[in-house]
Amino acid sequence: MSVVARLEEHAVHPEQELAALLERAKGAGAVVSFTGVARGASKSGQAVHRLVLEHHPVLTLQSLQNIGGEAAAKFDVNHVHIVHRRGNIAPGEPIVFAGAASIHRRAAFEAADYLMDRLKTEAVFWKREVGEAGSNWIEPTETDYADRERWD
Amino acid sequence: MKVLFHGRLAEAIGSELEVSCASDCTVAEVRERVAAEHPDAASVLRNKRALSVVGEKLVRDDYRLASGDKLEFLPPVSGG
Repeated sequence: MSVVARLEEHAVHPEQELAALLERAKGAGAVVSFTGVARGASKSGQAVHRLVLEHHPVLTLQSLQNIGGEAAAKFDVNHVHIVHRRGNIAPGEPIVFAGAASIHRRAAFEAADYLMDRLKTEAVFWKREVGEAGSNWIEPTETDYADRERWD
Repeated sequence: MKVLFHGRLAEAIGSELEVSCASDCTVAEVRERVAAEHPDAASVLRNKRALSVVGEKLVRDDYRLASGDKLEFLPPVSGG
């Protein structure tokens, strides 16, 4: 069992992260991963020039590690892999890579789903979109919180 | 006492503020003092999903602050 949780200042390369996860997952049988990508438009359809992810010097990485560790404990998985960007992110660039490996596909799917629900609502970041509409803070929606509560 | 702010709270208030409070005042008392001085940030400060942190640990509203404590107010967080 291993957990990788990394806070990344520079571009995240999902193919490299998946390769690293596959390498660790040898013999696992099932690997599921999710990549979140910065959108080029806000919910109201206005152009977004960049996404800014502010972070906390200590608590942000700690939150990624906690979420990864709790996913590893909750599901029958061998490996959990989280890489999260911080700073300025251009539309089309990956924001987050979250993956899990297991001997059973269901556990790998559930762990990846769980990772994202927790990351959306509990990873210590403050996000804002900068674009046509100025600078706007983005917080989790009630649906995001409801998705998170499914796992309690 | 030194109080730190993050995200939209830092935008509204600044990233750091010196707040005077009686010895062993609570987190809630400091929050209300800051909210009174910065009404534009009051609703975020009082948001039920905002977090209070002392020494990198989450604390509750009734936590009593000791001299030298560094209190941080975190608006609702969101990754992914």
